[in-house]
Amino acid sequence: MMKDISIGRYYQGDSILHRLDPRAKIILCFLYMIVVFMMNTVEGILATFVVVAFLCVLSAIPFMTILDSVRPIVFLLLFILVLNILTNRTGNVILEWGILKITDIGVLTAGLMSLRLFLLIVSTSILLTLTTTPLLMADSLESLFGPLKKLRVPVHEMAMMMSIALRFVPTLVEETDKIMKAQASRGAEYDTGNVFARAKGYVSVLVPLFVSAFKRAEELAIAMDARCYRGGEGRTKLHVLHMQGKDYFWLILLSCLAFLLIIIDFYVKIR
Amino acid sequence: MVDKKFEVHSETGVPPTKASPDVRLEAVRFSYIHPETGSVEALSDVTLTIERGTHAALLGRNGSGKSTMAKLINVLEMPQSGTVFVLGKNTGDDSAFWQIRRSCGMVFQNPDNQIVGTTVEEDVAFGPENLGIPTEEIRRRVDEALHYVGLSDLAKRQPSQLSGGQKQKLAIAGILAMQPQILLLDESTSMLDPVSRDEFLAVVERLVKEKNMTVLHITHDMSEACLADRVFVLDHGRLAMSGTPGEIFSQVQKVRSLGLDVPVFAELAYEVAARIGYPLERQTLFSRASALAGIRKMLRLVPSGTHPSGVHPSGVHPSGVHPSGVHQEAAPEASPEAASATASEAASATASEARSEAAPSAAQQGCPVVIPAGGRTVLEVSHLNHSYDKKNEPSLIDISFSVKEGEIFAIIGHSGSGKTTLISHLNGLLRPKDGEITVSPSAGSVLLNTRKNADVRQIRRVVGLLFQYPEYQLFEETVERDIAFGPSKMGLSSEEIKKRVHDAIILVGLDESFLKRSPFELSGGQKRRVAFAGVLAMDPDILVLDEPAAGLDPTGRREILSYAETLKRRGKTIILVSHNMDEAARYADRILVLKKGEVHALMTPAELFSDARKIRELGLCEPETIACLTDLQKDYPSINTCMFRVGDAADELIRAAAAGGAL
Repeated sequence: MMKDISIGRYYQGDSILHRLDPRAKIILCFLYMIVVFMMNTVEGILATFVVVAFLCVLSAIPFMTILDSVRPIVFLLLFILVLNILTNRTGNVILEWGILKITDIGVLTAGLMSLRLFLLIVSTSILLTLTTTPLLMADSLESLFGPLKKLRVPVHEMAMMMSIALRFVPTLVEETDKIMKAQASRGAEYDTGNVFARAKGYVSVLVPLFVSAFKRAEELAIAMDARCYRGGEGRTKLHVLHMQGKDYFWLILLSCLAFLLIIIDFYVKIR
Repeated sequence: MVDKKFEVHSETGVPPTKASPDVRLEAVRFSYIHPETGSVEALSDVTLTIERGTHAALLGRNGSGKSTMAKLINVLEMPQSGTVFVLGKNTGDDSAFWQIRRSCGMVFQNPDNQIVGTTVEEDVAFGPENLGIPTEEIRRRVDEALHYVGLSDLAKRQPSQLSGGQKQKLAIAGILAMQPQILLLDESTSMLDPVSRDEFLAVVERLVKEKNMTVLHITHDMSEACLADRVFVLDHGRLAMSGTPGEIFSQVQKVRSLGLDVPVFAELAYEVAARIGYPLERQTLFSRASALAGIRKMLRLVPSGTHPSGVHPSGVHPSGVHPSGVHQEAAPEASPEAASATASEAASATASEARSEAAPSAAQQGCPVVIPAGGRTVLEVSHLNHSYDKKNEPSLIDISFSVKEGEIFAIIGHSGSGKTTLISHLNGLLRPKDGEITVSPSAGSVLLNTRKNADVRQIRRVVGLLFQYPEYQLFEETVERDIAFGPSKMGLSSEEIKKRVHDAIILVGLDESFLKRSPFELSGGQKRRVAFAGVLAMDPDILVLDEPAAGLDPTGRREILSYAETLKRRGKTIILVSHNMDEAARYADRILVLKKGEVHALMTPAELFSDARKIRELGLCEPETIACLTDLQKDYPSINTCMFRVGDAADELIRAAAAGGAL
């Protein structure tokens, strides 16, 4: 059955990173994004590599699962690597073949670029998507962007929409399955014929699905109304996010590591 | 529970006194705008009172204004004229708005569309969060509410992992956490199976008894209405009846004319009275015990040695219609449409009771074994095993059975017993990995196998499958095109398709004027029929119907099930999936009981229900007719209790009484 569908790529666990306040994780995630892009030296990138490896250990997620998160961009990585090697023409020539010219600096920049991208993906996965449930992410975004409410940005409404969307994903997946079976019983075919025939087959699924989604939305709105929902104003929460001692400890420690990386990179560059 | 008298249209204009009732409607009118017909009056001049701690049931046909009334109480709608008082406060008073709304909790029909939270406890917390209650207090209320409905263990689960019954209990918990005084149930039980329904109702009963809550329960189920202290019946927006369940259901004919059913015990007493021409006292029909006592009294009046059909002196007949003993011979094929006509209401309903293939003769001893008509095997399942994934328990275990041509074959079982998985195999939506399913179509002598890719397309034409709540599968611009979807996939000529669409729409009780309309503007019951027609138009030999009557009002139920009988007479084979024991017993030739993915019994209704111990073992409930007859058997040992239709049961009682043997 599709009932147990998981949204996002959350990896169930109870590690230090899993338990860290999601807002701290979002802040750290941004910080490490910036750090990774600032690294211009081989030493800096290698040091970052070590720190990210440390984060991986903290997350206690199997190595292969982490590598899986890089799989979708393997082609992009290779593309960047090849393109940089072939187009950078500064530095000493290592290899020349016809119009192709490969230089040492070219190889170095290409390596740095792809390693940077690799670290970027791994660090965001580790800090956020693999260790934080989508619901907690929605919650902490609401809390982090809370100050924007003063600028009349509908932060609460957006977070509420996000969490309702998450809530209905399994319901709609199940419904899609049901409708497809019902139409297949009436002779609809989804996997034969040309593109147009297939697209037409899916109309018989999409129309009822949309109709029902709108009906659900309408009924849900009435149900929320009946339960006294009136927007974010004056609303309290069952789960209030609390930054505790250990959250501050890890936030500060990991931030210090990030700054250390920047200093290393800077020091190497001016040497 | 102060006054239990009738109070229809009698109390207009009385201002709320100090001890004001929880709910009071005064001359309330409400109409809404319909895109085609303009303004439609949903409620007109309704006046009623519900006292604190009352469990009230609200009955009526679909579209009679029941939901509107609940919405008016919860201030989701405002009356155009008249006044609604809730807890002594006028719903038109803006300052009372939030106070009224927070004191009224509402559980809707579809469990899925009222859950907001991503986890169970988050959802329970939603209401209190909206009220701005401090976090520690929310925690306490959430835990208490979940404990009260028995969902504490599931607090961290995702709602999609719950069963329908659990979802509705979750909805109640979400309301309890807001600590309301009034609970509004808008057909909350209609999508639940019997076991979940009983659990849900038990929670509601406890709320009335322990917390003195006021409940307004909108329902189509008459046995649920019998649990109430008061019953209100709406008809076309007017309050047609009001009183205790006994007072309401003793007016058998009036209740039927309003499109409702009466409980089986009341119907049985009524039928016996009709047969012996005894003027029935109202009190007799107030409860099952009094009905049975009344039947005993009447049976004593039956002279020994009389033939049942000779016992009705026509003059004193209480309803003025002919006793149905006559109808049984005269109109065994009475059309189901007649059931809605008010004049012959009682008579034709009885006739439909009697519309069995051959009314069992009264003199038989023991349970008759009905041999299914035809005898040719049209569908055979052998040693079917299935599991959705390797880790989980198998959902089907070694299922084997064969279905004969022209029979109604019922599959019954609780939710999660594997019914839907099983029927998905029958037309090749799921293909057996272990086991085999063969189909033998009426045309041609080939045996089709769902394992063979080449056969599946053909099988889907021979085995028509109608899933639960099929109205959600409509998608075309017009009804005509939607019904034609299946046939056009079969490569038929356009004239043939037209003819089939026409035949199908007539068979489901609609007319050609519907063909050009959009399916999305039809009522729920009409959509259901169009979806039914869409499968019928493919002209399948075998029709698999998954809970075809679920969620319909009593008239709709009867009609949809009567189509199954019509189709059977036309030589079709019907596989009926149901969790309603009375219906399965009444309509089916054979019943397959599925429990935890295994076949626990496969026999005729008579065989199955003749063994009370077996029924209990299987966790089923007896049909109500059998329960009544079993009780009366203590006095009349010669009673054959295997009767599934009320008319037959009444005949049997009179036969037994005439044969003598009253103790």
